[in-house]
Amino acid sequence: MNHKLEIRNLTKSFNTNSSETNALENVNLDVKPNEFLCIIGPSGCGKTTLLRMIAGLDKPTSGEILLDGKEVKEPSPDRGMVFQEFSLFPWRTVIKNVTLGLEIKEIDKEEQYRIANECIALVGLKGFENHYPYELSGGMKQRVAIARALANDPSILLMDEPFGSVDAQTRNVLQEELLEIWERTKKTVLFVTHSIDEAVYLADRVIVMSARPGSIVECMNITVARPRKRTSIEANELRERLLTLLKLHCALC
Amino acid sequence: MKIPIKERGLWLAPLITVLVLWELVAGYIIRDSLILPRFSSVIYSIYVLKGVLIPDILVSLLHFGIGLTLAFCAAIPMAIAMGWFEKIFKAIDPLIEIVRPIPPLAWIPVAILWIGLNHYAAGFIIFIGAFFPILIDSYTGFRNVPKVLVETGKVLGCTGDKKLIRYVAFPYALPSIATGTRVGMGVGWMCVVAAEMFGVSNSGLGYRLFQKFYYLHQMDYVIAYMLVLGLVALCTDRLFRYLVEDRMFKWKRGIVK
Repeated sequence: MNHKLEIRNLTKSFNTNSSETNALENVNLDVKPNEFLCIIGPSGCGKTTLLRMIAGLDKPTSGEILLDGKEVKEPSPDRGMVFQEFSLFPWRTVIKNVTLGLEIKEIDKEEQYRIANECIALVGLKGFENHYPYELSGGMKQRVAIARALANDPSILLMDEPFGSVDAQTRNVLQEELLEIWERTKKTVLFVTHSIDEAVYLADRVIVMSARPGSIVECMNITVARPRKRTSIEANELRERLLTLLKLHCALC
Repeated sequence: MKIPIKERGLWLAPLITVLVLWELVAGYIIRDSLILPRFSSVIYSIYVLKGVLIPDILVSLLHFGIGLTLAFCAAIPMAIAMGWFEKIFKAIDPLIEIVRPIPPLAWIPVAILWIGLNHYAAGFIIFIGAFFPILIDSYTGFRNVPKVLVETGKVLGCTGDKKLIRYVAFPYALPSIATGTRVGMGVGWMCVVAAEMFGVSNSGLGYRLFQKFYYLHQMDYVIAYMLVLGLVALCTDRLFRYLVEDRMFKWKRGIVK
């Protein structure tokens, strides 16, 4: 048994007034160490809910989530999370945002700055250490959020459509940089997106989810050699297949 | 023809206009210094009163300081409790809203009986006035912390309310606390006359204005003290903005110009 993350019979239901809706039903998933896993699906399929439960922000109705063999019960710095919305603390400079996790751990100040500087360099923001978030572009904000998550040296990186609110050009650049970071840090990454292009470009494996109730309908290994070309024929074929799958399971939306 | 206006002096034109109008209306239309003394005679009164003016300002500042310090120290812990814990908010919000509309003036008999005729009684009246704006603005700051920031705090390792308040909610609420304090300071100055008119001491801007000048119908003195009160309040407000807002909230420049 050599899984980084194991999800067993995970179900999540929400109570709306009198009726109960299943946001997720019987989800099973294993994630290997260092794997880059993308989760795609129509909106409302529960992909964000799944990620939030792994982060510990939401509690499953039944089933369990094991990270490195230990059950996930509450949020913890060993699961780094990057949100879709900009989530920097506006009153902290870039470097102070990145050191926050370390500050909470009460690590030695010098060490805090050493780690933070490393992470900031890793996301290509050297020179912006003392800027406030309002001085940064959307893409830069998300880079800081990634650096901040990495500073805690998490066991897994959870990303919830992190590039959803940046423009297309920046998005491509950020994807490339994320792959570089992933290759260098050897982190396990769980990446939620609604973009097939993004999933095919980034992932080792793509999980396709269907809506109402949310469940996994397909696991697809992306075997295209890296570095990938966005316009390669292989990539296009995969896109085509994923698109068909999504259409099939999204008939209701 | 365009006249370039320097932004720095933007406040000068309205001020001068009002003062000139005042002088003209008082001197040529009303012509009764009991109803409205002229601006020039008010300025002259300030000069005449210079001997009592400084001690009066100091005593009023003392009352103001007592009231505001008490209000701040009481309001902040309550604001944290009410703003962060929904149950506490629901439990005591009605109580607060019953006490809040009671005017500081109505508390004067209570202040005299509870505290006596001393500086603390005056401070108490100012406390009543300043407490609620500070409380309400501050708890609103705590209640408005965006969910994504709280959750970010959680995934970064803030376990429990204490750490979330310290690292996320409190810094987020600081600008609201500052705004509440500024509003509280304004209301506090409004309460100075009420606080001093029942004679807790034989000096103070409010005491002199109400107990001495008004009873003697020295309207130019009354208005002179009203002006001084406004000016002192302006100074405390500017000082607060200089010390707190300009220095602490650099990060807000992107949000509010």
